[in-house]
Amino acid sequence: MKLWYSFIKELNLSSKSWYFYIELGMAVILLATLLFVVPDDFDSKSEEYLYLDLPQVVEDRYRDNLKDEDLDETAELVEIEADKRIFKAEFYETEESEIYLLENMDALNAFSESERVPTVHVHVNDSNQIIHTYYLQGYETQKLKNLLLVFHNRKAGYDVIEDYSDNIKVKSLYQDIETLSDKENIIPVFLTFNGSLMSLFIIAAYIFLDKNEGIIKAYAVTASSVWHYLLSKIGVIIVTSIATTLIITVPILGLQPNYPAMILFIITSGFFAASLGLFITSFYKDIVQAFGVLYIVIVIMIMPNISYFTPSWDPDWVKIIPSYVMLQSFKEIISVNGNIIYVLVASLGFAVLGLDIFVLANHRFKKTLTL
Amino acid sequence: MIKVNKLYHSYSNDENYAVNNVSFEVKEGEIFGFLGPSGAGKSTTQNILTGLLQLQKGDVEVAGYDVKQIKNKMFNKIGMSFEQSNVYSKMSGLENLEFYRKLFDVETRNPMDLIKMVGLDGKENIKAGKYSKGMKHRLTFARSMINNPEIWFLDEPTTGLDPSIASEIKDIIKEENKKGVTIFLTTHNMYIADELCDRVAFIVDGKIRLIDSPKELKLKYGEKLVDVEYLRNGELIKESFSTVVEEEKSKLIQVIKENDLRTMHTKEATLEEIFIKVTGRGLV
Repeated sequence: MKLWYSFIKELNLSSKSWYFYIELGMAVILLATLLFVVPDDFDSKSEEYLYLDLPQVVEDRYRDNLKDEDLDETAELVEIEADKRIFKAEFYETEESEIYLLENMDALNAFSESERVPTVHVHVNDSNQIIHTYYLQGYETQKLKNLLLVFHNRKAGYDVIEDYSDNIKVKSLYQDIETLSDKENIIPVFLTFNGSLMSLFIIAAYIFLDKNEGIIKAYAVTASSVWHYLLSKIGVIIVTSIATTLIITVPILGLQPNYPAMILFIITSGFFAASLGLFITSFYKDIVQAFGVLYIVIVIMIMPNISYFTPSWDPDWVKIIPSYVMLQSFKEIISVNGNIIYVLVASLGFAVLGLDIFVLANHRFKKTLTL
Repeated sequence: MIKVNKLYHSYSNDENYAVNNVSFEVKEGEIFGFLGPSGAGKSTTQNILTGLLQLQKGDVEVAGYDVKQIKNKMFNKIGMSFEQSNVYSKMSGLENLEFYRKLFDVETRNPMDLIKMVGLDGKENIKAGKYSKGMKHRLTFARSMINNPEIWFLDEPTTGLDPSIASEIKDIIKEENKKGVTIFLTTHNMYIADELCDRVAFIVDGKIRLIDSPKELKLKYGEKLVDVEYLRNGELIKESFSTVVEEEKSKLIQVIKENDLRTMHTKEATLEEIFIKVTGRGLV
């Protein structure tokens, strides 16, 4: 019962503190960002500006190829601006690119120099070979240069890899998992940082406020245990995390996530993060002293984001950072037919690890009540 | 009620002791004053007795409990009023007491009774953060009584209070003591100690220099003189007479009989003077 009373008191106190509303407010801001700013899928179409300086027969063939690739198989006449001048152009939109056929070299120079966009001068040499001259900005990778080369060769009808690429079969290892949209793919990052990991910093803030007011000492001379005090704080943090997570997920994902698994994971990962926060705070008198360690923890926890958005960079050492597991678990939770076994194992891991750290933190707090 | 035997404590875990070989006993129903200047080891000793600091070396028993293996039940029997007010500033005075009463396993006092006792009635629903320093101190003091403690630890209970409130607080302490509550009073205010304590301990540099009752100390260290002011032939005369030398005692009686007496004081030493005499140190 004492634990319950402490929990209710902490809930009451946190509802009167700024941190509580900052967390909820941040969740609303993230939700608004996802709803109104982030598109379902990022438009990855590149814009390309071409000037076809070719014999009419070849130019017609080039145009025909572009039309075949165009989504509505028609060229659109448009006016586009560069260097404060208006130029006429033919516009083609394929699945991968938005292509503007410019009328002359003057227009091409204007876009290349003023708008700083990649432009291509397609012409023939003395041997009647089609030459693509690329005007790039200098920072493009070799991979991009190669891709552009292949793309335009294909338009000219010299594609030697088309048959090969058409015959490649791509088979997903988890065929029953639906791929997340770009917007959905961002949600695990928000849930990890605004939910689970924020617990680490918010509990540190709560504890330092109490240390400042001497509350812990007053609690320590009651017939209630120090761990009641600590666990009641963690309880409030977890309740807040659940609320902020639901604020973000329900309006966007509806019934898609596995909510029981989500709640379980927030409880265990939040317990782990908050226990870690408690352990860190037990060494320091105020947040200024603890800031160095908290800063290092923030930087380490951010690392797995790089791996999350760049799957080709996934070294083993990143996988042991807790936020890596949190990101992957939230991804599985919100995916249709996600890997719930992974989430359950991760939850168990965080629960065991969190309990160990909590015991250590409790021991530290009992030793440092007068700090 | 409190037994301390060969207590040592070092913050640096070496032989640089903040409390050095301290031993004393506090009997049931006694008001025991622990007096000393800042940094003498008063708070360290009190923090060990109340479990706020872990016992390193020595034996300490409080309310029948060994402080080496502290149990939550012990706190049902003790109350602690801190020098620095430490109440929940976002909760009202009443909410603070209502919350703390739930953390004990024994019958607790009615929070409103305590609020009235310390003169905070009418302000019980104001957030403690908006209380003045003195009001917060009174709330902290009231909270320490919520569980009807058998042993009451008071750390500078009247510091920062105006004289009338301080007087009320002293009356409450006396009243609780009459009910049988044992009181461990930590202070550097010798007047309060003199007024309230049955016995006092002087502690300096972590060591107890002396334990005795204020009355005995005054007898032992005070000068046995009486200062008299009287009028003779319209002239004000000041004289001192010994209360032990027969000849001077007779003179004193004669002066009282034959003159218009204006003032007469026995020249007792104050506790502060005795402290300085015994320890060679002031109290600041």
